[in-house]
Amino acid sequence: MTGTQEISIQLGGLRRRELRRLFAISVTVHLVLIAVFGFSPKSRISVPRGVIAVELVSAPAAARSAAPAAVAKPAPPKPKKVVLPAEPTTPKMQPKVVEKPPPVQPTAAPETEYEDVLARLRAESGEDAPPTEIAKAAPTAIGSPGSPDGVAISPEVAAWLKRAKIHVRKNWVVPPGFRTQVLEARVEVDLDASGKVRGNPRLSRRSGNPWYDEGVIRAIQKSSPLPPPPEAGKWNFVFMPEDSY
Amino acid sequence: MRAARLVAAAVITVAVTATDIFAAERPAVVVTSGKEQKFSVALQKFAGGPDAEAYREGLAAALEFSNLFRLIDRKAFLGQTTTQTLATRARIECMEWSTIGAEFFVEGALRVEGGQFVAEFGVWDLVGCERKLRRRYRQLSSADAIILAKRMADDIVEVLTGIRGVTSTELTFVSKRGGNSEIFVMDADGGNQRAATANRSINNFPSWSPSGDAIIYTSYRVENRPKLFISTRGRGKPGRILSKLSDMPQYRAVFHPDGRELAVVMTPSESTEIYRVNLNGKNLRRLTQNRSIDISPSWSPDGRRLAFVSDRSGSPQIYLMDADGSNARRLTFDGDYNTNPAWSPDGRWIAYQGRVGGQFDIWLIDPEGSVNLPLVSHPRNDESPCWSPDSRKIAFSSTRRGSADIYLIDSSGDDLRRLTRSPGDDTSPSWGPYPR
Repeated sequence: MTGTQEISIQLGGLRRRELRRLFAISVTVHLVLIAVFGFSPKSRISVPRGVIAVELVSAPAAARSAAPAAVAKPAPPKPKKVVLPAEPTTPKMQPKVVEKPPPVQPTAAPETEYEDVLARLRAESGEDAPPTEIAKAAPTAIGSPGSPDGVAISPEVAAWLKRAKIHVRKNWVVPPGFRTQVLEARVEVDLDASGKVRGNPRLSRRSGNPWYDEGVIRAIQKSSPLPPPPEAGKWNFVFMPEDSY
Repeated sequence: MRAARLVAAAVITVAVTATDIFAAERPAVVVTSGKEQKFSVALQKFAGGPDAEAYREGLAAALEFSNLFRLIDRKAFLGQTTTQTLATRARIECMEWSTIGAEFFVEGALRVEGGQFVAEFGVWDLVGCERKLRRRYRQLSSADAIILAKRMADDIVEVLTGIRGVTSTELTFVSKRGGNSEIFVMDADGGNQRAATANRSINNFPSWSPSGDAIIYTSYRVENRPKLFISTRGRGKPGRILSKLSDMPQYRAVFHPDGRELAVVMTPSESTEIYRVNLNGKNLRRLTQNRSIDISPSWSPDGRRLAFVSDRSGSPQIYLMDADGSNARRLTFDGDYNTNPAWSPDGRWIAYQGRVGGQFDIWLIDPEGSVNLPLVSHPRNDESPCWSPDSRKIAFSSTRRGSADIYLIDSSGDDLRRLTRSPGDDTSPSWGPYPR
């Protein structure tokens, strides 16, 4: 019991000392914060606040959800009965009208009719053996998890965003099949002042399709150097097919 | 001293956090896809053999068919126009190829070895200067070398997009070029068109088996009544199946994705109904149970549902039902005549022909019915869509040039191609599976 109390007292002493130290740290941190935010002559982004870009939006998720899509609107059934022709279009193919529907009584067919016919056909046609492959290489997936988005944009930055978009788009190949899918990848790219890509672009949000993601990284690599950015450093690129329905 | 270290750590933490805050505030460059961007490819003439040039042309055509590549003119090459020996990582001159705008470099060698034609090739990614692919194919030397070139192109597409290309697949269709409606087969690029039937009767609604072994179709060749037959790629004598099923007319059949069953359209009475039946004619089940006309079944890729056409609401519309006939629900509500649904192999879309303003166009609708849009529109009629096995292309028949011909279009609505140019109508295309 006594031992416990002693330990508590010691802990209390330690806490008081620690608190004093933490208070000192806290004061220092606040001073540093004031220095960084309050007295810095220029923030890291030389963007006047409160300016909104007109054309480009830095919230791609919203842009995607707003993508136009023709939506089927339920309409009341047409009162007029349209007679649907049977599958075949020739008169001979019209369904036969009978007084009473004959009961469907499937007669047992030989088990092997389909296989027999097929086997004979294949034997007659003598189809070639398919080519054999001896070595394979598969593309590899690249990437890592995602990050959130930003906000207001100055005209200078907006102009660069547009130039960068046009530049990268020219180098981005979207296979035909990907254009009809909702695929979105986000890449963090480190650009130097001249627009050159430093190091490897990092996938911060994968699309779920590794080939699409690889194509996105490829587009960035091909695009280097990009138009010189307003400021060197890390910039995010969001890729999405325009035609995704 | 310890306190000083803590202060230093705190300062660093604050600085890093501040950087992150500003980095996060930077707006993102939103890149949407432009039209018609393609991979630029430098394709060498393969080493070996007098047929190397023809082989290169076949491979070039197959690559271009994918709508994914642009081939760089050989006159622009700084390096060799013909492969000497296949490159290695140590020897490849990526700069030599990337300087002329190439993103990929394709090289290869051909030879005949022990009665076999051997084609070996490599694909280099010039952006990262690394080999993407190196494969060797063999086939009998008597076979057409272009088959291998197409297979190569399809595999290159797969490496770059994750889904194999379809150049080496085939389509079947109905042609009246000889005066009668006969079943024809052609390569996916429209080449090698040949008749699969020549019975001078009426043959219609060809559809592939999932394995590609057989084409099932309806023919009036026996007693002038519609019955089901199978054929194989235009070779061999067609054979009748389900011959003892019943006396009902059999208008159309499509294979279940597992290849063991069929959905068959038959007429038990005054109505036309959809049935399921095993290939041997056993286990017949009627799926639609009403007095309206129910036709044009198309299986979902998992085989659990069927899209079909019914006029139960008063006009022909696309419906979906479970594979046992339950849970039928109407899918299309726009237009007064929607028919010929085709479920895409990836399950995302159902293509169909819909009539708007007196003309049939090809439309796409998702299985939930939330998105419905025209894929291709023309004052003349576009009909009977079917999907390529990679779900990237749609074949359909169109009368836009007078008589009906078979056309292809990407599922994005780009790259319209005409495949047939015969004097008679070419209709009812069905796209075969990947070759084995």
